[in-house]
Amino acid sequence: MNRVLTCLFWLAIALVLTFITLPLAVVVAASLSPSSAVTFLPWEWTTVWYGDLLADRWLQPFLLSVKIATVVAGISGVLGVLAAYAVVYERIPGSTAIMAGLLSPLSVPQIVKGVAIVLFLSIIGLQSVLGTPALIAAHVVLALPFVTRMAATSLANFDGNLDRAAQSLGATKRQRLQHIVLPMIKPGVLSGVTFAFIISFNNIPLSVFLVRPGDTTLPIAVINYLEYSLDPVMAAVNVASMIFILAVIFLFEKIGGFSAQLHGGSK
Amino acid sequence: MNSFDIELVSVSKSFAGIPVVQDLNLQIPRGEFVSILGPSGCGKTTTLNMIAGFNTPSAGDVRVRGKSQNRIPPERRNLGLVFQNYALFPHMTVAENVGFGLRMRGTPKAEIGEAVDAALRSVRLDGFGSRYPKALSGGQQQRVALARAIAPRPSVLLLDEPLSNLDLKLREAMRVELKEIQEQLDMTFVYVTHDQEEAMAMSDRIVVMWQGAIAQQGEPGSIYRNPATRFVADFVGRSNILSVRRSIPGSEYFELCIDGTQIVLRSDCAGNSAVQSCCIRPESISLLNVSDAGTGPQNRLDGVVRRIVNLGAHVELLVEVANGLSLTVLVPSSRSSLVPELASTVTLGIDPQDVQVLSD
Ligand SMILES: Nc1ncnc2c1ncn2[C@@H]1O[C@H](COP(=O)(O)OP(=O)(O)OP(=O)(O)O)[C@@H](O)[C@H]1O
Ligand SMILES: [Mg+2]
Repeated sequence: MNRVLTCLFWLAIALVLTFITLPLAVVVAASLSPSSAVTFLPWEWTTVWYGDLLADRWLQPFLLSVKIATVVAGISGVLGVLAAYAVVYERIPGSTAIMAGLLSPLSVPQIVKGVAIVLFLSIIGLQSVLGTPALIAAHVVLALPFVTRMAATSLANFDGNLDRAAQSLGATKRQRLQHIVLPMIKPGVLSGVTFAFIISFNNIPLSVFLVRPGDTTLPIAVINYLEYSLDPVMAAVNVASMIFILAVIFLFEKIGGFSAQLHGGSK
Repeated sequence: MNSFDIELVSVSKSFAGIPVVQDLNLQIPRGEFVSILGPSGCGKTTTLNMIAGFNTPSAGDVRVRGKSQNRIPPERRNLGLVFQNYALFPHMTVAENVGFGLRMRGTPKAEIGEAVDAALRSVRLDGFGSRYPKALSGGQQQRVALARAIAPRPSVLLLDEPLSNLDLKLREAMRVELKEIQEQLDMTFVYVTHDQEEAMAMSDRIVVMWQGAIAQQGEPGSIYRNPATRFVADFVGRSNILSVRRSIPGSEYFELCIDGTQIVLRSDCAGNSAVQSCCIRPESISLLNVSDAGTGPQNRLDGVVRRIVNLGAHVELLVEVANGLSLTVLVPSSRSSLVPELASTVTLGIDPQDVQVLSD
């Protein structure tokens, strides 16, 4: 009985993993296709399509996406930490309501949010910010709940005795925040910031309303391209951005997650 | 100016209207090792937190060297604090932990290095400076916490059950070390514990707390020998506590009529007719040979051995001396030849000076 269960368990895991990775494998295979039709012949492959990625057509949107995602990660990181600090650490009045408000963007479909932002900007006569400023603002709204939530959870798990120990050793509030609180919640905040970066970098439903023609983010460029053609270049773009995202995750893990594993936790 | 490091003047504290500490008056002289001893929930931590500044008294005044502290935040009180769960900073090495207090004060690097080395040496952890707390045993972590608290040389160290997470052997070793460190540094220690042995072993003075108030304070020996109340007699050490129906002043001794029995005990403690109970320590009761002459002031009670428990160094006997009244008697194992058989009849001897009258 137990053996059967164990087998089923591993079978389920294998199925899930296959389900998740198979499409990715297909994309990778397609990007190596020797003919311009998206096919895959394991005995014949080429990396020639990856050469196209350096063309402006892909490089510009990529750089724009990186720029926006970086700024979004930074802004939502700072705002998220500040919000969590006020709500969890300082317990300012109405903190429950504030937290609910901060998390509320999660409950509105992104398309609706996109339309709303465009309408809002045109009502207040600020269509001119469409493009990068609007994209950044919209992505921050989207990413902030995640960062805030993660920072708040880290702060809630933070052992208040550490803070009191530091205080009894003469540390002022500023010193405690700098030397104790922030280092202790850093792993959680960095995970949140990683999410923010990826959310912004991959976003389509909001961005599609806010980009300016001729100056698009990478996912929008991909959508536009897909309207006319489906070829190995397309697959190569996707593989490249996948690798890029993995590299970003790895990098943040290195900065925050690593030290967290080594001496993190408050026990 | 006076010589008290810490004074609590009519200090009270309530949480949401529920009184936790009530009208506490306490004076702690410089350099003394004072233990606050009491059962769980009696308000020990709350009291310590009021001294440290993490709780504000609802009424009354906390003074450090004569100066009221009510408006001074914890970080400016210059008191060291050691927590039950150590509360070491996990992202700093041992040396960084110990140097933290001085670093926050802007002490020059070289001085910090020296102070850290000295503090680690005094807790016998030299050479551990570059480790992280995670790589230390519980006892070592506790000693780092101690070193961290003493490194900035506060005049007073507050300790909240610092040994309770350690195993018995380590706890006993640390008791001795703590006392030595306290004497070496000539610091005032305020030590919170619910372990009466710990308090006995280290303190110059013990403050027994019960339900938010001081039940009794004094030297460990005098608290043990002369518990003032039923609670103290029961909580500090082991006791036979007997209810007294009536107390009759005699020429030399008080005669205590024990409730529900025909037993009358002679006691040389000054009591009054309102005495309701008395206590006898198990180790002060002796087993008499039947041949011993029944003269002198000593109380003699005959009884039947109902239970024998071997405690290693001692053997504990439960002796029924009257219907419904049993006394616990402690006999050293070294005299095991004297240990009677189960259900045998024995004669107990109790000195009048060992019958302690309690005030409630
Ligand atoms: N912040 C608080 N809010 C409400 N009640 C509290 C608070 N802190 C303590 N109490 C109550 O005050 C009483 C005394 O608590 P305290 O922590 O001082 O006990 P203690 O003597 O240190 O006990 P222990 O030995 O278990 O640590 C307890 O009944 C506790 O429930
Ligand atoms: Mg406590």
